[in-house]
Amino acid sequence: MIRFTWLQLRLQLRIAVAALLALAAVLAVTGPHLASLYADSGISGCHAGTCGTAASTFLGRLAATSPYPIMYVLGIGLIIAAPAIIGIFWGAPLIARELETRTFVLAWTQSITRTRWLAIKLALTGLAAMAVTETLSLMYAWWADPIGKAIGLGGSQSWQFPGVFSQGRLSFVIFATHGITPLGYAAFGFALGTAAGALIRRAVPAIAVTLVIFAVVQVSMPLWVRPHLIPPDRTVASGPAFFEAAAMSVGTLKASAVPGQPEAWILASGPINAAGQPVRAIPPSCLSPSAGKGGSPDLGACMARRGIREAITYQPASRYWPFQWIETGMFLVLAAALAGYCFWRLGRSRT
Amino acid sequence: MSFVIEASGLGKQYGRRWALRDCTLAIPDGKVVGLVGPNSAGKTTLLHLAVGLVSPTSGSIRTLGANPGEGPVQLGRVGFVAQDTPVYGKLSVAQHLRMGAWLNPRWDPGIAASRIEQLGLDPRQRAGTLSGGQRAQLALTLAIAKSPECLILDEPVASLDPLARREFLRSLMEIVAAQGISVVLSSHLIADLERVCDYLVVLVGSRLQVAGEVSDLLSSHHRISGPRRDASGLPPSLEVIEESHTGKQSTFLIRTSDPVHDPAWTVRPVTLDDLVITYMSRQANTSERTRRPQLKVMS
Repeated sequence: MIRFTWLQLRLQLRIAVAALLALAAVLAVTGPHLASLYADSGISGCHAGTCGTAASTFLGRLAATSPYPIMYVLGIGLIIAAPAIIGIFWGAPLIARELETRTFVLAWTQSITRTRWLAIKLALTGLAAMAVTETLSLMYAWWADPIGKAIGLGGSQSWQFPGVFSQGRLSFVIFATHGITPLGYAAFGFALGTAAGALIRRAVPAIAVTLVIFAVVQVSMPLWVRPHLIPPDRTVASGPAFFEAAAMSVGTLKASAVPGQPEAWILASGPINAAGQPVRAIPPSCLSPSAGKGGSPDLGACMARRGIREAITYQPASRYWPFQWIETGMFLVLAAALAGYCFWRLGRSRT
Repeated sequence: MSFVIEASGLGKQYGRRWALRDCTLAIPDGKVVGLVGPNSAGKTTLLHLAVGLVSPTSGSIRTLGANPGEGPVQLGRVGFVAQDTPVYGKLSVAQHLRMGAWLNPRWDPGIAASRIEQLGLDPRQRAGTLSGGQRAQLALTLAIAKSPECLILDEPVASLDPLARREFLRSLMEIVAAQGISVVLSSHLIADLERVCDYLVVLVGSRLQVAGEVSDLLSSHHRISGPRRDASGLPPSLEVIEESHTGKQSTFLIRTSDPVHDPAWTVRPVTLDDLVITYMSRQANTSERTRRPQLKVMS
């Protein structure tokens, strides 16, 4: 059955491998240049105080150099989409197509039980899905390594070049596209597609259902689930230094960095007064003409003088790997549950 | 005596509909069994139960003396050719044979190769581009090369043109002659089966109508005609299958194990075709009969 599954999988796998090779070629061509830009930026020899500036300069130059911004974004998009693509092209038809074309009658009357038939199909195709997605992620991680390092050094401020090179390791999209999470997402996407196909028994509607559910899960995870997987830390940043460091965006009164916690994932932040109550707006007296605007020392000093501090709820960057393990484990468990459903459904198809 | 298919009170319900009910039969080994009935009579259901694709809702069924589809050994003992002979459209003929070899421990590569050669099939051709007749032959090859003890075919010739139909049945008979295995094949046309089968099962309206050796069925059924009279006036040893009356005359199709000696009757033999058609047209009466007791309960 392993050989037969391989025979059926081969065609699909060929397309995936061709896509990976094409992508590898593009990354291999541009990767060394990207690395040389990083080497020339002087980040490697930087001292504590200068690193952030050097990194920002590097990222600023990169943002203006085609094709790096577009490749960076497309790469992330591809890794995010890969499990869904696998779910709809490999998962949804896995059982549904056999039912539609009635080839299951042929398959299930060979000298092999349908449990074994499904177990081998699920295991082999699922492993291929995970391997393809993780390879994609690793290739991309190699290519984008200098960018990640620069961001990790505190380079890039969101006001400087909005969007592109500002997302740290724990940010929504970067987290789910790096490390081991692509394994979990790939297994989940594939199992979801397969289960939808087993439930609906037709491939095309199963594809639609897979896409919708996967998108909902992919959005829900970082927004509502991941922040609570480990209880977040809280801290209160105070004193002119915090405000002076321009760690706070004046317009929103939200912190963009946690003092002493580089690359922390800020879940919530806002100014509070001496009594610990939230402050909704900058006190008018601090906005006097002399106080100046945006992150100026005057504003910071004025706020600090009035006892205003910034309360921050965050996840420290040191929790990156615990989060990776928890999230990957969750998706693997979900995938196993969906696979279990497929077995149950196939057993029930006899009744 | 061993049996190919042995069923007792067998029933299968899909949702609210009974596809097959109260089916009790025992088909002896070594026969070519024709399973006849109109469309949606329960033929496919009975065959799917026999190969273990579905499980019974009530009663029990044993194929070759074991639970159908239970474990790889039992699956290997039964060769199955499904209705419309589904194949993997994207895989070639040769890849189908490879699948058979991989998934069946008792696979006979010699039989498979010689049949494909005999049929003139191109091993590299994709199964999706085969004609209906070729696809049926490929499915039959897969079923026979796994060296089964019995072969079950569900409407194998229904979608074939007359020439392909004859070719297919000829191959089937060659296999039966060469391997001496039991065969069960279904059709909604008795004409397809008349020449090949020596045992007949008639299913109508989810119920078994009659089952037996063709020779026994032909010798125990007669068409008798004589002066008009009611069916109730006939001796109890005669089971009336069908009756028709004209002004003066009555004609009955009867089943009996005793010879009919009454000189008032003209006795004529029946053909297999005639017999099957008669049982098939009994459907209306049958359903009426099953409804009556329910009415009694309600009144």
